[in-house]
Amino acid sequence: MDHTSDPGALRYVIDPGRLDLVKEFRASPLGVHSPELRKLLARMRWGKPEGRLVLIVLEPGKAWRLSRIPKRRGDPMPFVDDRVFTSLAEAEWHVFKLRWQEMTGTTLPAEFASDL
Amino acid sequence: MIYKTNEYLGYPDRISVPAGETVRFQLSSKRRSVKVEVLRLRCGDVDSNGPGFKYEVMTSPIDGEHACLDQPIRPGSNAVIDHDGALVPTGGHWCFGAYVYPTRIADNARAVMGNWCERSARGYALELDEEGNLVLVLGQASGTPARFALDVKLRPRVWAFVSCALDLARGSASLSMIVPADGVRPAASCSKSFALPRALALESGLPFLIAAHHANGDRQYSSHFDGKIEAPRVFSCSLDAEALRVFDGRQRTGASDAGLVAFWDFSNGISSLSIKDLSPNGLHGCLRQLPRRGVTGFHWSGSVHDWRLSPQEYAAIHFHSDDIYDCEWQTTCTLDVPAHWRSGVYALRLTSGGKNPDRDCESYVTFFVTPGKASRRADLVVVASVATYLAYANSALRLYQVHFETLMEHVLWLPQDDVFMQENPEIGQSTYDCHVDGSGRAYSSWLRPILNMRPRGYWFNLVNDTHILDWLEEKGIAYDLITDVELDREGARALAPYRVMMTPTHPEYYSFNMMNAIMAYQNAGGRHISMGGNAFYWRCGFHPAAPAALEVRRGMAGTRTWESEPGEVHLAGTGEPGSLWRHSGFAPQKLVGVGFSAMINDTCGYYLRTAESEDARVAFIFEGTGRHEKFGDFGFRYNGAVGSEIDRYDLELGTPPHALRIATSEGLGAGALPTPEEFRTVVDGLDGTQNALVRADMVFFETARGGAVFATGSITYGMSLGHNDYDNNISTITLNVVNRFLDPRPFVMPAET
Repeated sequence: MDHTSDPGALRYVIDPGRLDLVKEFRASPLGVHSPELRKLLARMRWGKPEGRLVLIVLEPGKAWRLSRIPKRRGDPMPFVDDRVFTSLAEAEWHVFKLRWQEMTGTTLPAEFASDL
Repeated sequence: MIYKTNEYLGYPDRISVPAGETVRFQLSSKRRSVKVEVLRLRCGDVDSNGPGFKYEVMTSPIDGEHACLDQPIRPGSNAVIDHDGALVPTGGHWCFGAYVYPTRIADNARAVMGNWCERSARGYALELDEEGNLVLVLGQASGTPARFALDVKLRPRVWAFVSCALDLARGSASLSMIVPADGVRPAASCSKSFALPRALALESGLPFLIAAHHANGDRQYSSHFDGKIEAPRVFSCSLDAEALRVFDGRQRTGASDAGLVAFWDFSNGISSLSIKDLSPNGLHGCLRQLPRRGVTGFHWSGSVHDWRLSPQEYAAIHFHSDDIYDCEWQTTCTLDVPAHWRSGVYALRLTSGGKNPDRDCESYVTFFVTPGKASRRADLVVVASVATYLAYANSALRLYQVHFETLMEHVLWLPQDDVFMQENPEIGQSTYDCHVDGSGRAYSSWLRPILNMRPRGYWFNLVNDTHILDWLEEKGIAYDLITDVELDREGARALAPYRVMMTPTHPEYYSFNMMNAIMAYQNAGGRHISMGGNAFYWRCGFHPAAPAALEVRRGMAGTRTWESEPGEVHLAGTGEPGSLWRHSGFAPQKLVGVGFSAMINDTCGYYLRTAESEDARVAFIFEGTGRHEKFGDFGFRYNGAVGSEIDRYDLELGTPPHALRIATSEGLGAGALPTPEEFRTVVDGLDGTQNALVRADMVFFETARGGAVFATGSITYGMSLGHNDYDNNISTITLNVVNRFLDPRPFVMPAET
C-alpha cells in the first residue's frame, strides 16, 4: 500500500464548526479553493471506493443522477434517489452536504439547507 | 434522450483493416436481430457543448438487419493438456502435486490440477475450497463425488507445495501440504490419509487442466484459480510428499525418472502460450485467455529482475479467474471494405431495427480503415493511438481506484458504460485496473467489447482524438489514417508514403518498433506534428503469441495506478522492461522535444510565447497572431489548451539542443502536480503555483534531410481547435504548422554553434 492508495492515510478531521468553509464551497463548488478548504475536500474525497457517491451521466453535459459504488464487482448499481441534476455545481453542493452530515454527524444550519 | 449503449456489444477480428480487405464482427445481444450501418466518424463526441457528433453514413453490403446471438463472456485462464487417457490413474500408485501461491481465496473452489468435470462428476482433481483448505475431488461410478479435505488452510500469497498420493490397489489416498520456511516463519507440513470408496470414476474423457475444472464437455471451464502455480508433476509410482516435491525435473541425456508421467516446466517458453512437459511422454499443453507468465516463482532469488537471464526463477504462471483475451464469439457479419473508402475512424452503428425500433437503443463497434493497396495516399497521415486505447480499454478507475476522486477534484462522473462494467465485470478491465485478486492487469485485448472506444463512450483518448479529425475536415486538409499497430508491425515502412505524420491527443503507449519507426521517419526527412501530451511514455509491447493484446508492466517509477510485483517488470511477450521510455534511455524529449511533466487536476492553462519564438526559423508558426496573445485560454470540455497531462522541454532528457521552446504554459494552479519520476524526494514546492518545471512547452526543431517536429505538449490542445467556430489562435498556429509541413521545401537544421 502506498500513501495515495491507503484508504486510511488522511489525518484531517473535519471540524463541524468551520461553517466558513461550507460558505466558501457553496460560493464556488467547482472553483479554486483556499488551502484549508482543499484539505477538507481531500478528506471527503479520500477513502475506499465502496459506498462512494458518484454521478451517473444520463446525458453528456446535461443531466446527472446520484449513485453509489457497490461493495462487490458484479452487484447492481441502483440510483440513490430520484433527483436529476442539470448542473454539476448543484450536484457537487448536494454531495458536499450529504458528506458533511455523514462525516461530522451534524446537520448544517438551515441557511445552508437549500440548493445553490 | 438517454441512450442505452450496451444492448448490443461486439468487437472486430482485426482492429485496423486496409480498404479492399475484410473484417469480421462478432456481436452479441439479448435481442434476436441487429440493424447494422457503417459510419465514418468525423467527430465522435456526442456532448452538445462541443463540435457535435459528426459522421458520414457509408453504404455497403453489410447494411441492414442481421440475426444476433446472445453470446456470453467466460473469463478465466487455465492450461489445457490433451492426453488420450495418459493422465488418468489406472491401478496402483498415482502421485501429483504443484507449488501454489494463491492470491484470492474466496467465493468458490479454486482448481489446481486434474481432469475433473463438474457436469458429469467424473474425473479427479486437487482444488482449494473457499476457505483455503486443500481438497481432493474424485468421481464415483454412482452417486455424488467423493471429497477429502486437508483441514489446514493455505494462506494467501504464501508459497506451498500441495500434493496427493493415490494407492488405488489398497484403496487409500493422502493429501499433503508443505510450506517451506520464509522470513521468521519456520517450515511446516501436514498430511492426512483417507480410505477411498470402491468404485471410482477417474476418467472424465476430457483434457487435463491446470488452474480450472471442466464445467462441462464443451470446452467451458470453471473454478478458475487466482494465483501462481509452478511445476505441476504427475508420477505413477509411490512417492512421499517431500520426495515428490524435491524431484529434480531437469532433463539429463540418457536418463529418465522411473514413474514420471508428466512434469510441466513453465520456465520453458515464457513468451509463448505453450507449456512444455519435460517427461518422455511429451504431454505438452496450451494456455487459454492469456494468464501472466514471466512472474517470479518459488525459486526466485531476487538476484535477477529479467526472466530472460534466469528463466528457472520464473517458472510460475499467474492465473486469474478474470483473465480475458478472446471472447471467442461467433461471427455475426462480415464487411468487405470497399477499396474506394477513405481511411479513417469507422464504427458499426448497431440499433434495434424492425418496424418499431427502440430509438434510444444505439451501440457502436469501432474499427479503423487504413489505406489499401490501391488507395491514393494523402500527404498527411494521422496515426491513431490504438495501443493507448487498449491500455485504457474498459477502464474502471472511476469505479474502483481509491484516489480517483481526489485526483479529479470533483464528484466522479460515470458514464452509464461504467454501470454496465460494474454489473458485468466479465467484460474485463483496463491495464489501469486490478484483477479481482488485487494484482494489476498486464493485458488488454481488442477481441472483446471495448466500451470506451466508441462514440457515446467515455471521451478520454479516442473521442478526444476525433476533435483533431474534425478540425482537419473543417479546414479541408486531406489526410489518411493508420494506427500505431501498423507502426508496430511494419515499422517505418508504414510512414514512408507520407510527408507529414500527426499523432493525436494522447499517444502514451509505444512499443519498441513504434518508437523507432517514428525516429527513423523523422530522420529521413519526415515531418511530425505531435498534437498531444503524456506522449511516448510507457514502453509496452503487443504479445507475439497473442497479437491482439497489449502487455504492460508497471516498473521503476511513473504515474501508475498499480505497481509490478518485485522482479516482474519485464514483459512476458518480448522480455523488454515494462517501464517508462525515460528509463530505457529514450525519454519522449529525445523523439519530439518534450516529455511528461505533470497532471492537471484542476484548472487548465494556456500558452504564452517565449523570447525564442522570435527566431526567424519559427516565424511561420505565429503568422496571423499577436506576439503577446494568450494562446488557448479557451477550449471545449477542459477550458484551456494546456491541461490534463502536459509535457516539457529538457535538454538532459534528450530535447535536441537546436530545438526552440516557442511557447510555455501559464495559469496552472495547485492541482497541477508533477509526475513522480520528476522528483527524487518529496518536498514542498512541487505544485504548479510554485514549481517552474510543472509546465507544458511548445517546441519546434528541424531534423535531418529536411524534416521537422512540432510538439504541443498538452492533451487538451486538440479540444481548443474548434473554439469559436474553428476561428482561434490555436487553430491558426496549427494550420500554419500543417501548411508549412506539407510544403515540400526542406527545413534546414541550424549549424552547430
